[in-house]
Amino acid sequence: MQKIWQRLADEFNIKKQADELGVKIWQAPSFLFIMMGIIIIFAMTVVYYITKYYDSPEAVIFGESSVVAVLFTIGNFIIKSIEEMARANKAKTEFVSIASHQLKTPLSEINWEIELLLSKNREGLSAKQVEIVDNIAHSNEKMMRLVNDLLDVARIDQGRLALVNEQISFGKIVDNVVLSNVILAESRNVKLSVEIDKDLPKIIADKRRIGVVLDNLISNGIKYTKEYGKVEVTARRGAENVLVCVKDNGVGIPKSQQGNVYQKFFRSDNAIKNQTDGTGLGLYIAKNIIEQSGGKIWFESEENKGTSFWFSLPVAKSLTNA
Amino acid sequence: MEQKKILIVEDDIVLQKALQEFLSAEGFEIVVASDGEEGILKAKNEEPDLILLDIILPKKDGYAVIREVRAEVSLAGVPIVLLTNLGGLNDVEKALELGATTYLVKADYKLEEVAEKVRGMLVKA
Repeated sequence: MQKIWQRLADEFNIKKQADELGVKIWQAPSFLFIMMGIIIIFAMTVVYYITKYYDSPEAVIFGESSVVAVLFTIGNFIIKSIEEMARANKAKTEFVSIASHQLKTPLSEINWEIELLLSKNREGLSAKQVEIVDNIAHSNEKMMRLVNDLLDVARIDQGRLALVNEQISFGKIVDNVVLSNVILAESRNVKLSVEIDKDLPKIIADKRRIGVVLDNLISNGIKYTKEYGKVEVTARRGAENVLVCVKDNGVGIPKSQQGNVYQKFFRSDNAIKNQTDGTGLGLYIAKNIIEQSGGKIWFESEENKGTSFWFSLPVAKSLTNA
Repeated sequence: MEQKKILIVEDDIVLQKALQEFLSAEGFEIVVASDGEEGILKAKNEEPDLILLDIILPKKDGYAVIREVRAEVSLAGVPIVLLTNLGGLNDVEKALELGATTYLVKADYKLEEVAEKVRGMLVKA
């Protein structure tokens, strides 16, 4: 019952809504709708009294037309303010897209310069210096991941995420992603185990992005698992697909919030409470990539017991049409 | 094995130099160009075995370079690998339609992977 009142109060808290949308009160759609309702009720009452006490159709017609005119004006305001919001939203997506795109060039430069230093100009560097450069490379990779995530989100929002599909052997990707998460797992004393079917067929997918999906799921598993927990990664052959599971015995996702998991910027309450860092973009991206690759993603979770994420990807039909 | 010649058309000097240094250390002969016009000129004069081509270039863009290179009989079969950071479906598709062989996204590739791709393309060609 309290929830219903709370919702009603929120529904009518126009100032808060206007603030959230970043518009003036009289521009907020809910305010305008309420105004329309009041005007309609008022107009009907007036019409009722006019017909009751005066026998004047002209007055009724005049009254009705002016009410219609007022309603049209308000309706126009509503449409205008909604259009404006849609435009602002589009501009924001474009901004994110352009900004992250511009960031990619200097990041590529740093990446390649570091690689050049470590691969072809390593002579004379002390072990300590190599270690420091390695750390810089690692930080730069993290930065690149963030920028790529932002760019992918902008592209998903614009409906133009381009996947670079090729035939890939899944086992290799799993190995790479697991390897890059070993340090994170060790630092949190989480046991990370992998089990891949030996005869796993090849799949057709975007190598880098499937890596991103796996990395999101595995690093989530590690981050949201308490010390001395475990994360298990399995990849099995299905009838026409490859089935992957990332299972942890971590904090889990509260039942009430399980419906919001794939929303952009979603962070569960217990994740925020435990002060785990994250952007809330990982699963949003994962869902879009997997579905665009012709696969499915789903999960089971219980609070304080753990979470299992599954996804499936279709097997490459044959070598010829790949 | 004879030394293969690679033309790098890239206007970002840092990236250009990094590619040049890495690939020549890998044993390739490198020719560089910093804009589209220079790229076309060097493609015609040097007749490289493979072209690494950026899309956004001063003077003439990558699309124009692909068109002119493909129009040249002696260069019709040269593999063109696009170096892009665009990753947008339309841009890459347009370039592939014009005759580019394949593409790679700069931000996602290590130099080692670029070299691997180049070696792979040269074996095929």
